Order: sequence, then C-alpha cells, then structure tokens
Amino acid sequence: MTTSINPSPNREQRPAPSGLALWWRKNGKLILPPFFGTAGFLLFWQLSASLGLTKLAGPLSLFTEERTRELLFYPFFDRGGLDKGLFLHAMSSLSRVALGYSLAAIVGIAVGIAVGLNKTLDRAFDPLFQFLRMVAPLAWVPIALVLFQNNQPAAIFVIFITSIWPILINTAEGVRQIPQDYRNVALVLQMSNRRFFTKVLLPSALPYIFTGLRISIGLAWLAIIAAEIVMPGSPGIGFFIWDAYQNSYVSEIVLGVVWIGAIGLILDRLMTWLQRRISKQ
Amino acid sequence: MTKRVEVQEIEKNFPLSGGGHYLALKGIDLDIRKGEFISLIGHSGCGKSTLLNLIAGLDAPTGGSVLIDGETVKLPGPDKMVVFQNYSLLPWLTVRQNIALAVDEVMPGLSRDERDGIIADHIAMVGLGHAGDKLPRELSGGMRQRVAIARALAIRPKLLLLDEPFGALDALSRGNLQEKLMQICNEHALTAVMVTHDVDEAVLLSDRIVMLTNGPGSRIGGILEVDIPRPRERMTVVHHPSYYSLRSEIIYFLNRQKRVKQWQAKPHKVLARHGLEKVNLDLGFVPLAACAPLAVAEAKGLFAKHGLDEVTLVRESSWRGVTDGLLDRTLDAALMPSGMPTWMTAGGHGGDPLPVVTALTLSRNGNGITLARRLADGGVQSVDDYRAWLQSHEREPHTLGIVHPASMHNLLLRYWLAANAIDPDRDVHLQTLPPAQMLADLKDGSIDGFCIGAPWLDRAVAEGHGFTVAGDLAIWRDHPGKVLGVREDWALAYPNTHIALVKALLEACRYCAQPSHWPELSSLLSDRRYLGMKPELIWFSETSADGNSTVPHHLFFGPGVNRPSRSEHLWIITQLARWAEIPFPRNYVEILERICSVGVYSTAARELGLKDVTYQRAAIALFDGRPFNSDDPISYLNEVSLHRDFSVAEIPIGAPRSLAA
Repeated sequence: MTTSINPSPNREQRPAPSGLALWWRKNGKLILPPFFGTAGFLLFWQLSASLGLTKLAGPLSLFTEERTRELLFYPFFDRGGLDKGLFLHAMSSLSRVALGYSLAAIVGIAVGIAVGLNKTLDRAFDPLFQFLRMVAPLAWVPIALVLFQNNQPAAIFVIFITSIWPILINTAEGVRQIPQDYRNVALVLQMSNRRFFTKVLLPSALPYIFTGLRISIGLAWLAIIAAEIVMPGSPGIGFFIWDAYQNSYVSEIVLGVVWIGAIGLILDRLMTWLQRRISKQ
Repeated sequence: MTKRVEVQEIEKNFPLSGGGHYLALKGIDLDIRKGEFISLIGHSGCGKSTLLNLIAGLDAPTGGSVLIDGETVKLPGPDKMVVFQNYSLLPWLTVRQNIALAVDEVMPGLSRDERDGIIADHIAMVGLGHAGDKLPRELSGGMRQRVAIARALAIRPKLLLLDEPFGALDALSRGNLQEKLMQICNEHALTAVMVTHDVDEAVLLSDRIVMLTNGPGSRIGGILEVDIPRPRERMTVVHHPSYYSLRSEIIYFLNRQKRVKQWQAKPHKVLARHGLEKVNLDLGFVPLAACAPLAVAEAKGLFAKHGLDEVTLVRESSWRGVTDGLLDRTLDAALMPSGMPTWMTAGGHGGDPLPVVTALTLSRNGNGITLARRLADGGVQSVDDYRAWLQSHEREPHTLGIVHPASMHNLLLRYWLAANAIDPDRDVHLQTLPPAQMLADLKDGSIDGFCIGAPWLDRAVAEGHGFTVAGDLAIWRDHPGKVLGVREDWALAYPNTHIALVKALLEACRYCAQPSHWPELSSLLSDRRYLGMKPELIWFSETSADGNSTVPHHLFFGPGVNRPSRSEHLWIITQLARWAEIPFPRNYVEILERICSVGVYSTAARELGLKDVTYQRAAIALFDGRPFNSDDPISYLNEVSLHRDFSVAEIPIGAPRSLAA
C-alpha cells in the first residue's frame, strides 16, 4: 500500500523522508481521528456490556459467541430453507431492493418529468405527493399486505412507494429549473420535442435526478429492513435480525446491524460515484 | 428603403401575482430598415428587453403588432435569432455541438458535409478555430459570447436580436467583440436590434439609437440618428464631431429619466397651508452667480417666512433641464433666462406652445463675451480685430459657445456680432454647450470664445484661458438676466403661492443687492448644493475703468429692476424672431400681456411695503444707438441690417387655463 505512492525522483535521491513517512505526514490527520473515534465508541460499548450496565452484548461477543463467530466467518453457507449465511440473506434483500428501486426510478423519473413540464398536472398532484411522501415505510406494510396478499410483492411495493418520492420530486424540480435561457434557445430554434427532450431537458435535469436517486437508495434500504422484519418467512437480512431477536441471540442482532450499516454505506458511495461520473461529462 | 421590421402601436401589460397589471410598454412605433443597426437604450426596467422579446416572438404583445417583412410575428423562430445576455450555450455540448444544434435544426435540407462546413466557417469567423471541441465552461465570457454570436449568424437570420450582449464582459473583450460584431454586420449587411445600457456602445454600433422612457408605460422618448460614417473604429469615432453631442444627448436623456423617476418616487401631494394653495415647491435652477437670490431665500429662511414651508431647490445642469422640468411638471417654478418665457410660450422648445409667465426679474447684467487666449496672442483685442481675424482665418471653423438659444447670452452675442458686421450664423457658428464643457473647449482651442454669465467668464479670465472682449455693461447696460418663470396654468391654480414666492425672492434680491453682503454671498454660493466652486471665483462686482472703485456687476434690486417689463420681453421676441428661433407672433400683444404677470409683482411689492419702487424703466438702449420702437416691432425687424428669414404667425396659446387639480 505504501509503495504505491511514488515520491518524486529528486526526493528518492535524498536519504530522508521515506515513502511511508511522507504518506503518513499527508494522510495521518485524515486517518487518526476517525480511528480513535470509532475505537473509543467500541471500547465504551464493550465496557458497558462487560460491566453489566446494559443487557446488550458487546462488540467482542461477535467473536466470543460461537454461533455468531460462525456466521461472521462463513457468510456463504447454505443449509437449505432459511438457514443461510449472512451474505445470502443480504443478497436476497438486495435483489428485492433492486426490483423496487428500479420500478421507483422508472416511474419517478417519468412522472417527475410530466409534472415538471405541465403546470396543471403539477397543481393537480402536488398535494397528494406531499401527503404520501410523509407516510412512514412501516405504515405502508399493512396496506401492501392487504393490497397484494403475498409477502414478496408486498415487500417490493413498500420499497417502491418509500423510495419513489425523492426521485419524483427532484426530477420535477430539475425540469422546472431548466433555465429560461435554454428554453428560449429551444423556442427560437423551434426544436422538435424529441430533440428538446434529449438535448436540453435530460442533460439539464440530470443533476437533480441523480440527487433524487441517491437519497432514494438510502430510503429503499431502510424500507427493506422494515418490510422484512414485519413479513417473516423468506430469506433476507431483516428476517435474520427478527429471527435472532425471537431466539434471543443478541450478538447475532449486532452482527446483522453491522451488515445493514455496511451495505447501506456501500450503496450510498456507489451512487455518489455514479453521480460524479455522469455529471463530469 | 425597405422596411424589415415594423413595430406598430405595441403595448405590453404584465399581470401581477397580487392581481392587477403592470403596463410595461405603451404606444411603441418603430420601423427598422433592412441592414440597419438599432440600439434600444434606457434605464433598467424600462422595458427594452421586453420590446426585444416581443420582436423575437418570445412574448406576445397585449396590443399592437410586430411585422417582419410584412408578416405578423406570432412565434419565435430562427429567422429572428436572439443572442442572449448570458450566452445561453448548452453547457454539456461543445462549441461545435452547440452551433451544430442550431444548424441541424434549422437547415435539415443540407447534407452533413455542407452543414459541417457552415459550422466550421462560423467558428472560424469569430476566431475560435482552436476551441471548437471545448466545452463552454472551459472558455472565457468573451469567447462564450462569440460562440453565441456564431451560433446566431450560422443560421442566417433575417434579423439579429442582441440582448445586452456584452453586458457581462470585461472592458477589453467588450471592445474587441464590439469591433468584431460591427465588422460582421457590415460584411453581411445584417439587420440588428441591440439592447444596451452602454452609451458609448450604442453610439459606436448603431445607425439609430432608440431611447426609451421609464416604466410603467415606457414609450420612445427620442430617436437619434448616428451620422458617423462606416466603417467605424472604436478609437477614431470619438474624434467625430457628432460623437460627443450624441453621447451627451443620450446622457442628458438618461439623467432626465432618472430625475423623473426620483421625483415620482416621492409623494407629491399638494400641501396647502397658511392660506397658500401649495407650500411644497420644487424650484429649478442652474448653478450660476445669478442664482444668489434663490440660495439666500433658502439659507435665510425667506421661503418659510412667507409661508412656503417646503421649498426644495433642484439643481439642473443645463437650461434644457429647466425647460423639461416645467414641461413634465416636475418643477413648480424655476430660475430661467429672461428669453425662456417667450420662447416656450411661442413653442421654441419644439413642442406645443406652453404659456410660461414671469412675475419677477431676478437679476440684470452679469454676462460678458470672452474670446480665447490664443486670439489675443494673435493680436485680437477688439471686435474689429476679431472680424479681421475671421476673414484671415476663413478656412477654419469658428465656433462660439452659448448656453441656450433663449438666453440673453445668445441674443446679446448675436446682436453684438451683427452690429459689428459679423453674421452670427454664416461667419461663425454658435453652439449650445454646457458651461463646464465651454471652459474645457476654450482651453483646448476647439471654440473661439463664448458668451456666458458669471462666474464662468471670470473663471476663464482668472485661469488665463481667455479675455473679455466686451462686457454686457458696454452692450446693454442693465439688460434683464434671469427671471422667475412658472407655467401659466400653475400660476392660475396657485395665485397666492405665486405671490408668496415672488415676495420671498424679492426680499432675497434686496438682500443680494447690498455690496456688504457680497462676501457672504460668495461663500454661500460656493457650497456644493449651489455652485460648488471656490468663493474667490464668485464675484458680484467688477473693477471700474479707472481701477479705483468697484461697480456692481449683477443688479439684483433697485428702481425698475425687478418688475417684469413688457417692452423688454418684446425686444426679446423680436430678437428670437430675428434669428428664426421662433416665428414672430402676430398675437404678440396678447402673449406679452399673459407672460408678464405685473399684477403678481405689484401685489408682492406692495405687501412687502416697497413704496419707493419705480415702475418705469428707461427706454431700451443698446451700444449701437439703434432705437427700439416697441410700437412697431415688425418695422424694426425689417430695418435691422442682419436678420434671418423670419415668419409672422399666430401662436395658438388658447384661453388661460388653470392646472386641473
């Protein structure tokens, strides 16, 4: 890792600061505070657990509890039924998210553009959107179950309905925010609708759309946990946690939470990277 | 002359969010010839961009119509391409793609190669051959605007519309781009309309400059023809004789608009108090030594003493500002040259005759004819020398400066020249210039001299740029100088206010006439609110011929000094007619009766207890000894040696009417 930093040639000739020292001087300030912050938190947690201040297992229990250690080190096992490694649980959760989120993106962008272009549509639906947006993911679960009578599509619907609003609202705003200048250019050149769409509208609204998509991916991931906890019976990380709770495997809950946090973080970073890639063009 | 654009009776009303409407434009009429470059200039918010958008079809007028080549504009289109102020390039497309977007859309019939050719040509035309594949954000503001211009020109519009195209650029790129645009417009004989707020830019680029008045309800306040030949260059146009007069014309217009706006921003309720119909007055003046009575009346509280609690003195930079202030009623009353009441009443300002009355002569004398130092160096000492000088320097232009056609300076200078066998229109050229400009022109030798009031003539002498060839005491001793003028309808609506105003100023005149007060007057007038000049330069007396005593130069008060004199105003009318500034009014008796508000003066004088005021003035006697017969002015006019072809006409001033309250 340290060798990947290439010191400039004349530096190499000098005996003093080696590559490692140089790297450390540059990045030490960025690494030490988060390291100590996290370590301090874990230590506090562990101490409060060891001293019996809370019933919650400490972080070390991930290694000390045999069941949990197994789950930690073997995420890929599959013993059939619901007895799977955490990675497989996560994957089935993710596939649900992928489905619901994609639906939300397609519908959200399309409706957002329509609403952004048409003032009357905007006026007609804006109150409804603002209202539905405020309904928490958990509240959708019973409605979804009544609607679909089946866990799987209900879970996807909950993801869809939770994550669609930021996409829709941001897209509409992006379309509304197309500068009057660009619209005037299109008007003066008498551009066809198709060209206006591809050459002006989409590129102009793209940053807004991506902001919406990025906010939504977080929401979608939050929703899947809610949906799975309430709708047990199929593999998923939410079910895993719920199951662990039912069986009082406290350290397994902690492990599940670590997975959820990590995956959420990765998803967000992925979207940020994608957004940056696209807006760079 | 083929018309490309016809703007007919355009009106534009914007609905306001809180209900109601904002009338942006009203009654705009404008024809634009093929190949003409038009600038729209005016203050921000005057609706110039709105007018451009209406021509472009980006917005629809609420009244009237715009025709391009005889067809009504209904929608925007590439035949009337707009160059927007903020470039409006699509940031995700390169320079080439931005232009291609326009070309592909407008010229679908051409082959790919032909279109690429057009795009490349236009990128090269604006000098961006090296930057074709760059994104707009990689370019400077000037380069971006060049791309926008290239995009507009590439689609061969019938009409190019530019909305403050160089507003956001630094001075250097603005200059370069202006020249580039001018060159392109010349080469392709483009018809263009440009919105700008830059006076120099407008003069440089335009064939005609359309000046818009302030909103709401902006109209065309004036159209200036720019007669500077093309091709023009930025560095050389400034030397064209028209350049500065065009420039100052626009600046005057814009300042006037600003003043009107400020005036409108204040509440203008007529405040009646103390038995007076109106006590809040705006009093116009031009900074001259003769404005002393106004300054004294303000500083000594004489206005308030006579019940006029809220008098504001409004400093105008030229007499034209006074004329316009009376015309648009932003001024209640004003200090004005003694010829202005008759001149405005006879319609000399070029509009409908506006009856203006005077009830008080504020000052007499105070003027002189100054010639440049270089003439003295050439041996000119007297008017005979000057005549000889004119003959020997026939090829050079000889310009003399005056402040206003209706001022005594003009009339005295002309009279003096004519009586000395110099034709004031043929042998020399009289030009209206602002006083400060005159001094500068005298210094750099572009004028031979000027006739102007104190303190400017004293300044020219004191600073060594000129010498007095004839003082006004030698031309017409105790001639009327400045008078108080008000609109006749104003005087009829506020008769008691008028009397109170005359009383305050007459008392101030009496104060000014005391030689012991002159040092105080000098320091009072040196204040920035009035002249803003060193007190040493403001004199009210001059040294007599023997060098021992000082004689009063300005006459502010005394027997027969202040009462408006009909015979003097008749003399002024004959002189104005003699030089064809106005036709000679057949109804001159009626006009004189109405101009000279002797009754108001008499009442004021009586109420002040001035019993010793003689009403009679001595007969009018000028230096050449020619008698002025006020009973037969037309014979007098026909007899004077030099005069223009004057006309005699009835001036339709109607019956006296009071201002509608």
